[in-house]
Amino acid sequence: MSLISSPFAKKPTSVTELMLWVIFATLPGLFALVYFFGFGVIINLILACATALVTEALILKVRQRPVLPILFDGSALVTAWLLALALPPLLPWWMTVIGVAFAIVFAKHVYGGLGNNLFNPAMVGYVLLLISFPLEMTSWLPPAELAQNPVNFLDAVAYIFTGTSMAGEPMTATRLGVDGFTMATPLDHVKTELAQGYRLAEIEKDAVISGLSGSGWQWVNIGFLAGGLFLMFRKVIGWQIPAGVLLGMIIMSFVLFAGNSDHYLSPSFHLFAGATMLGAFFIATDPVTASTTPKGRWIFGLGIGVITVIIRTFGGYPDAIAFAVLLMNMTVPMLDYYTKPKVYGHKVKRQQGDTDAH
Amino acid sequence: MERSNYKSEIPIFEFHGGIHPKEHKLESNQTPIQKIPLPQQLAINLKGQAGNRSLPIVNVGDKVLKGQVIAESDGIFSTFQHAPCSGTVVAIEKRPIAHPSGLDDLCVVIETDSKDQWCELFPKKNIHELERAEILAHICESGIVGLGGASFPTHIKLKRESGIDTLIINAAECEPYITCDDRLLQERAADVLRGAQIISHLYDDINIIVGIEDNKPNAIDALVDARKQLEMDTVKIAVVPTKYPSGGEKQLIQLLTGEEVPHGGLPADLGLVMHNVATCVAIYEAFEFGKPLVSRVVTLTGEACQKPGNYEVPFGTPVEHLMSFCNATNPGVLVMGGPMMGFELPNPKVGIVKATNCIIMAAPKELKHDHLALPCIRCGACMDACPASLLPQQLYWHAKADEFEKAEEYDLFDCIECGACAYVCPSDIPLVQYYRYAKSTIRNQKVEKTKADKARLRHEARNERLERVKREKAEKHRKAAEARRKAAEAAGEDDAKKAAVAAALARVKAKKAQQDDSDTKTESNDQKDTDA
Ligand code: SF4
Ligand code: SF4
Repeated sequence: MSLISSPFAKKPTSVTELMLWVIFATLPGLFALVYFFGFGVIINLILACATALVTEALILKVRQRPVLPILFDGSALVTAWLLALALPPLLPWWMTVIGVAFAIVFAKHVYGGLGNNLFNPAMVGYVLLLISFPLEMTSWLPPAELAQNPVNFLDAVAYIFTGTSMAGEPMTATRLGVDGFTMATPLDHVKTELAQGYRLAEIEKDAVISGLSGSGWQWVNIGFLAGGLFLMFRKVIGWQIPAGVLLGMIIMSFVLFAGNSDHYLSPSFHLFAGATMLGAFFIATDPVTASTTPKGRWIFGLGIGVITVIIRTFGGYPDAIAFAVLLMNMTVPMLDYYTKPKVYGHKVKRQQGDTDAH
Repeated sequence: MERSNYKSEIPIFEFHGGIHPKEHKLESNQTPIQKIPLPQQLAINLKGQAGNRSLPIVNVGDKVLKGQVIAESDGIFSTFQHAPCSGTVVAIEKRPIAHPSGLDDLCVVIETDSKDQWCELFPKKNIHELERAEILAHICESGIVGLGGASFPTHIKLKRESGIDTLIINAAECEPYITCDDRLLQERAADVLRGAQIISHLYDDINIIVGIEDNKPNAIDALVDARKQLEMDTVKIAVVPTKYPSGGEKQLIQLLTGEEVPHGGLPADLGLVMHNVATCVAIYEAFEFGKPLVSRVVTLTGEACQKPGNYEVPFGTPVEHLMSFCNATNPGVLVMGGPMMGFELPNPKVGIVKATNCIIMAAPKELKHDHLALPCIRCGACMDACPASLLPQQLYWHAKADEFEKAEEYDLFDCIECGACAYVCPSDIPLVQYYRYAKSTIRNQKVEKTKADKARLRHEARNERLERVKREKAEKHRKAAEARRKAAEAAGEDDAKKAAVAAALARVKAKKAQQDDSDTKTESNDQKDTDA
């Protein structure tokens, strides 16, 4: 086609711009993470981004695609960024690298690159790491105010690259809380304690639980919630998926909670614990792997919310956003097909009986 | 841009999606409509309308007067064409035409003289004494087509008489840059309403609604004044918010009535007809002055155009001529129509046709040019913008993969090619191009399929016929044998042996006869088939 086809006017938005907005909107949550869990997060981010760019460039070379324009569409960067935000702050460096590289190569390019992948690349990377290195992947630090040995920047670097602090102390020291016990995330803590027969009323007295979920964690979630709302307001993401995730979570946790509030966590705890807000606003909304119709997005979100609570409650891992997202990713082609909106001039939707009588 | 605060006289509904591109109307709507100096030659394309080619009735060398018929309707799906000025026919030949394909087609070329002299005109002011058919015939003979851009012959659109209760005048003009209807209303609102009155008369005086975007405050004021002056109090002015594509037929209907034109149906199914502002003026002039359609108002605009504005341009005027008039030296792109639905002109020599509402002479960077399209990220921005409530991302996915059946399942043919989806796409994908490609491929496949089906049916019919002939033959022979046997029986027991021998002989003979017979029959049948 030699001539250019209409339209000749173009709204000045680009994929790059959208991706940069997403990264920008994670900043409040990121600040909270750094504030409560130290600089490890920043180092993870840098590592992840560098890995993503190098991997993406190499793959594009191998696939003989134009490197620069695609490299700077920002999608690889966002994958790495979101994955890094979900990683424990002092994860050994090579794990981060493996996770990101795997996400880019296998979850994205093996499917044909941006736009063609079925599964959310960041979550594929995350789940790979979680299954391969369950111990490291669930080793979070205590939030700063509860930590016996808060980690400074240099120590964080040392832990990530050598496994010990500058002074040569092993990782376990950093994980001690003020009470002298190894600290887990609130979700993890509740899970272990429940398994040992404690009741929620008792567990909630523990230091790691406070406020809506646990100090630190609730602020991280509030940070991501704020950034997410901003994205919604800017129309970078639609509102159906986050609303669906949160609503699904509320419904499912409420059903359990209403049945036995001594054994099941409250909806508000679920909402502000773990990766809820990061998942609902930033991860589940990855357009490529989410449903693309308005109704499909609702169902997609609801599914993630419900599944997350179920796995958090009954499964073997403390958090479950990643699993829930990947499970719902599989339903997307079907969701898209069966939730086509009503087209202009059609009285009923196509699949409910064709109206082409004319 | 300035918005009118005139309150719509009927409630306004909404349509799904839509976009707000930069309007670019002020460049061209500030000055009155002007005439343009005649070019030396006019090349009038005989297919300058939707439908079929008109049939030329002049010869090379003929002197023609302005308004004289130069081509007639084919009687099925075209209109008349008239000389846009006086002069001499110098050629009837293939020339580049205003079509995205860039193909050549038959044009009547007129060398203009400087007199611009009208032929004798026959006004028909007495429409109340005319039969419906006479009015339609006059519209057809005046060469009037829809001037909103589709150029569908108006007399055909007006044919259906029953069940129509409302005439909508489309004055939305939602495409950026274009202001010809705006100016026409500002200057000649009364003529627009008079033309509307003639259409309304065709249906025994039906309701008239003028649908107009609120970015034309002056035009709205002019309409209100004209209505008062003409005492046409029943005309309703419906002001709709500025949003592209509010002027799409289906979208304007939805805005004004809240109803949707049924899939595969026509506005008439809802009791509506819709005509454009300029079409109304053309109808008015045809009856009031007997003037056929020989020119139209065209918006000339774009950053490369040094004299932007609206001009009365005779059909067949080469775009080149307009460009030199506007001192537009080498524009970046030359677009006929608006930036959303227009097309890039393959050649500046092409002549203005009845559908040409605008020529954009764009500066090199003014309009979007080829960008590297990134993959679709399924963001759904296109879906939110689509006025037909389609899923453009899915249409694209399937069109790109040549999965045309899937694309049809996603209602590809309900796409009005408005371009809203491509406008918002962050990946810069030329979506509409893919839809056009898919549509035309599917159409071609359907044509091929009907051809194949016809051939198959013919083949089956032939086999059937041969079969039948054979059956009839066999039946005849069976009956004959029966008769002979009966005759033999009647001849008595004694002759039974003789009869048996005779019957056997008869059978042999019959068999032979059958064989010969069917051979010749088959041949003659074959002959017939090839003849058919
Ligand atoms: S707007 Fe473009 S990138 Fe977004 S879903 Fe539509 S086609 Fe894909
Ligand atoms: S061009 Fe077709 S698919 Fe795109 S917005 Fe317009 S109607 Fe919808």
